[in-house]
Amino acid sequence: MEIPYTVTARPDTGLYNAKVGIWLFLASEVMLFGGLFSSYVFLRIGADFPWPRHELHVLPGFINTMVLIGSSVTVLSAWASLKARRYGWFQINMLITLLCAAAFMCIKGYEYYGKFHHYSVIMQDGSVLDGHRPSDHPENYAPESHNGDKVALTDVNAISLNLAKSEASFLKHLRVSAAADKPYAEAPAGTVVKVRTPDGTEAELNQDWVKSLKKSYRNLENVRSDLAIIKERIDSPAKQIAEMKAAVTGTYPIPFDAAKAEKLTAQAVELRASSKEKIKTLEDKIAELEQANPVAKAATLNLQVVGAPLTFLVDERDFAKYNAKEIIFRDDVVLTGTVKNDAIPLNADVIDLRQSKDPEKSLVWKYYPQLKDPFFKHKEEVTGQFVKKHPEHANDFEKDLDWQHEALRVEIEELVAEDVYKKLEEPGEAINIERSDKRFYSNFSPSRSPYYAIYFLMTGLHGLHVIGGAIVLGYFLLTGRAMYKRNPEHLANRVEVGGLFWHFVDLVWIFLFPVFYLL
Amino acid sequence: MDHSTETPAAHGAHDSHDAPVDLAKSIRLYLKVGGYLILFTCITWAVALIDFGSHALNIGIGLAIATFKVALVSLIFMHLNHERGLVYKVLLFTVIFGAAMMFLFVLAYLDPIKASLTN
Repeated sequence: MEIPYTVTARPDTGLYNAKVGIWLFLASEVMLFGGLFSSYVFLRIGADFPWPRHELHVLPGFINTMVLIGSSVTVLSAWASLKARRYGWFQINMLITLLCAAAFMCIKGYEYYGKFHHYSVIMQDGSVLDGHRPSDHPENYAPESHNGDKVALTDVNAISLNLAKSEASFLKHLRVSAAADKPYAEAPAGTVVKVRTPDGTEAELNQDWVKSLKKSYRNLENVRSDLAIIKERIDSPAKQIAEMKAAVTGTYPIPFDAAKAEKLTAQAVELRASSKEKIKTLEDKIAELEQANPVAKAATLNLQVVGAPLTFLVDERDFAKYNAKEIIFRDDVVLTGTVKNDAIPLNADVIDLRQSKDPEKSLVWKYYPQLKDPFFKHKEEVTGQFVKKHPEHANDFEKDLDWQHEALRVEIEELVAEDVYKKLEEPGEAINIERSDKRFYSNFSPSRSPYYAIYFLMTGLHGLHVIGGAIVLGYFLLTGRAMYKRNPEHLANRVEVGGLFWHFVDLVWIFLFPVFYLL
Repeated sequence: MDHSTETPAAHGAHDSHDAPVDLAKSIRLYLKVGGYLILFTCITWAVALIDFGSHALNIGIGLAIATFKVALVSLIFMHLNHERGLVYKVLLFTVIFGAAMMFLFVLAYLDPIKASLTN
């Protein structure tokens, strides 16, 4: 079927159909990004934390702006080349456009990589330390070792399960010592964990075993609950009579209804007689099930590890809480052993005391006592300059966001000599932040703060548009020759429509760049 | 943009499909506008480093430059300086609804979430 008005304009709109289509689509795209920019404004004016300014490296964003502007020029030139019937020029310009798209995404990837490998610890007193994990240093890279977001538990000899809730998923955290420098290597596939149940039998602890125990326990509980319902029904008349007796002397006395009580008593007797058979059957069933699988008799099942004690390395987000001897999972699994390596190793590069209750007594100085004096010296210098520049704020400079940003958020590089800083950045010099000192720990991913959440959301969505646009333009480049020979104007129109989308992508970035990187 | 400076390429898009196009002239114009966009990007960066006394002013100036750049892209690169009426009608609604959405934050001032509710 021939699609109409792909080349010539439709008389009533004055445009070829694809152009009407792309403008309607772009209108909806404006609303999509408009909604997100609006959300950004909401988040920024409502933020209860210092909104990050000039925290992103401007250069990659600046280069990306150049790259997108360049690609906008080349995509237009590609279209003009088709209009001028210069297919070779079209190919060259389109190829450059696609290379620009690839360069844009590579730079974006580089930026994201940097964010995902940069960490932030918010201390209990509100102080913030940003930095890198020593394990992220290439020369020290050992993914199976302790990384700061995990807690290691060694000498595990007891495991407690709640058969109503627990799963065997905690076994994925099982580790084995592969070498002296790799104490937390992944347990090889097929590693067997043997446990002794309370009745003295040995079993292999795995997914299937836990599943079968849970099934037995569930069956038993179902029968028990059936029995409980019947017993409750039998007891109900007696309870009602007791309530009626109590109501006689209550705040609002109700006279005792002897006839009703008599009726209830008769009801109870009748119920007891009629349920006798059923109760017996259920009790027998319970006894039978308990005997068949005595391990699954109660919800709590305490297991003893047979053989050498186990080691676990558990991701912080996977457990509910822990203490010096136990890790308690969200599904009530309790591992008992000795907690080791629960500190957060960090090579800090930024000290931010804007949210600190008392900068003088900040928890940061517990880990970096040598930086306290340089920090406050720097703060004094900044304050002197600030007051000189803004004499009207001589008395209330501490409330000024710019002063806070300059004086209380400092890159360690600015505080000490270059060689001292380099030394501080070495993996061996990493500080070990006690887990009880931290309130929040995360890399610079969307979970870090609403700023990073919306940064990743908007730049990510924009990046998807770049990829989508590049696929369409790449398709025109790869398959355009046949259409060019058949009807060059049709191809030109296609490229024009693809180009309009591409300019829109450029246009969104023109706002994203200053909003996230500069303002 | 003045009609007399319009490129043959842009012109050819609507009126004459087979009109010869002066490729060099078109590309010259696009490069010129691209140059302006790069220049204004540099100005945006430079302006962000200057202290105008109030941060709101910095934001205002930064967004004003961005808006000017967006105008350049839409008028010249997207040919909105020379388009059919239907497109403007579509965009009129987009501008109205888009602007309304950008001012939704006023609601946050009129009906703020009280701290006591979150505690």
